[in-house]
Amino acid sequence: MPNLPPNPDDAFLGAVSRNGHHETPAAPTYYDRPMLKAPHWEWNVVTYLFLGGIMGGLGLIQLLAHPERDDERRLKRTARITSFILAAGNPAILITHLGRPERFLNMLRIVKVKSPMSLGVWGLVLYSGAAGANVVRELAVDGVLPRWMRFLAPGFMAPAQALLGAFTAGYTGVLLSATANPFWGSGKRHIPAASVCSGLASASALASLLSTLEGNHQAVHKLERLEMVAGAAELLVLADFKRASGTYGKPFFEGKRGERMRTYTMLAGTIAPMALNLLGQMVKLPKPVDAVRTTVASVLTLVGGYVLRDSLIEAGKDSARDPHAAFRQPR
Amino acid sequence: MATGFFTDTTLCIGCKACEVACKQWNELPSDGFTFTGNSYDNTSELSGTTWRHVAFVEQMSVDQQGGLHDRWLMSSDVCKHCTNAGCLEACPTGAIIRNEFDSVFIQPDVCNGCGYCVVSCPFGVVDLIEKFDPDGTHYNLASLAESRLDAKQTAVQQSGGVAGKCTLCYDRQKVGFEPACAKACPTESIQFGDIDELRERARVRVETLADRGVEAQLYGADDVGGGIGSLNAFFLLTDRPETYNLPAQPVLPSTRQPAGYAAAAAAAVGLAIAGWMIFRNA
Repeated sequence: MPNLPPNPDDAFLGAVSRNGHHETPAAPTYYDRPMLKAPHWEWNVVTYLFLGGIMGGLGLIQLLAHPERDDERRLKRTARITSFILAAGNPAILITHLGRPERFLNMLRIVKVKSPMSLGVWGLVLYSGAAGANVVRELAVDGVLPRWMRFLAPGFMAPAQALLGAFTAGYTGVLLSATANPFWGSGKRHIPAASVCSGLASASALASLLSTLEGNHQAVHKLERLEMVAGAAELLVLADFKRASGTYGKPFFEGKRGERMRTYTMLAGTIAPMALNLLGQMVKLPKPVDAVRTTVASVLTLVGGYVLRDSLIEAGKDSARDPHAAFRQPR
Repeated sequence: MATGFFTDTTLCIGCKACEVACKQWNELPSDGFTFTGNSYDNTSELSGTTWRHVAFVEQMSVDQQGGLHDRWLMSSDVCKHCTNAGCLEACPTGAIIRNEFDSVFIQPDVCNGCGYCVVSCPFGVVDLIEKFDPDGTHYNLASLAESRLDAKQTAVQQSGGVAGKCTLCYDRQKVGFEPACAKACPTESIQFGDIDELRERARVRVETLADRGVEAQLYGADDVGGGIGSLNAFFLLTDRPETYNLPAQPVLPSTRQPAGYAAAAAAAVGLAIAGWMIFRNA
């Protein structure tokens, strides 16, 4: 038998520690092969989650806007019509992922409380119903539809849409965090909270953008405050997520992806629009300049929201491929 | 009756007859010819179209006196058919069911290919089957089954991509046959049968091995923790589970839901109050 010297680099050495021959510090895995499977999710799922967040946020905005103030009345109408368009369009995005339209219907044959995907799809369907009813009411009040049709949307449809909106925005986070993925699992509280905050910030940004186009500057003023609050909350959640996730958070917070997330989501997507919005709150700018300011701030927030979702999904792929993270599942 | 697999890795000789029998019976496509350099394991992993995977671990070490010790571990991995299955809970279509043999089974005609089971399996077993390739190099199980009935291309063939994993040979069990892998295993490393009986047999085996000086442990015969419960396909191992690419502390994904929903609700309530104040004070 050849007399081989012990080689500390040999990956197999540690595995035999049970026999008492050697103890190596880092427990070896199976040829460093992934233990878990990475998600097969691309741009379409990212877009679905991003729009789901905006849709949810608009649900709250349409409730907050008071019908007796002229600017908020117009905002309410805009938020309702936009949210309905998003709710109607989002299944189409999901279908591009599933492959065939009928496959969306497979999810409507069952309600599963333990499946965030199932509850989320039902949330989306019910939200579409509430948003649709509220749009009918808007159009009936406007006279586009017969006036009697406003009774199709009783008053409780407004808070119903807001509640369902909060659920759809939140579920886009739970969908990721309640999986076997170590990075997503390490954000079991932070990812859902960040999804709600980012959803509302993006919804406020989209509503600001549309209100600017309508010339509804009073509403923009209020929306930008809401956007600042939601953006600040998102930053706090992300900062705490970095602390809490530790090594699990590496694929998200470190390297090129971490830099991209910090640049587009935190800096350009949250801090920069906050500064622009604060400027708008404090200084009275000439109207055309102010419109440009709002537009830039809104677009930045929307881009930041998209990059956040994209970074979450992509970091989940890397995390799944790392057997060391997979074997030390976060509790 | 609850049936399952007891995979006794001390009896495995690494012949891969289980892999071949599974591929043949279930008409699964080849994995292609790849050379990994990882001992004799060129299959690498379980996938949507690979439902048995033999892991090879070559262990060599030198003791204090300079004596060489070597050991070759082989283990045929398979879907664990968990008591509380992450994939089954996550499936939004109800395609993943628990059948009358207590196995976790994917109905390919109901599956919509969303891929949520893939990220919800704590063992990394389930995967999407590759999309249909008209050249015929890749195809999926569902399309194959349907093409027997209809020569035209079916819906699943056109769009491809449903989830696949071990069915515990549901079709064979239905007619009283044992699963193809267990049937083909020449050393009875893969044993099929009533799950309670298998557990009893496995415990006796651990004691027998202990008498012979072999330290062995069962993986999944009892609760593996994390809310998953016991596994209907369990293993007898002679090293840490991680050595065989099995997680020592798996977690059932749905246990993370309450915290997630609570955090989302807290954020939503907080922002709604802030929003109410902003709009009221304006």
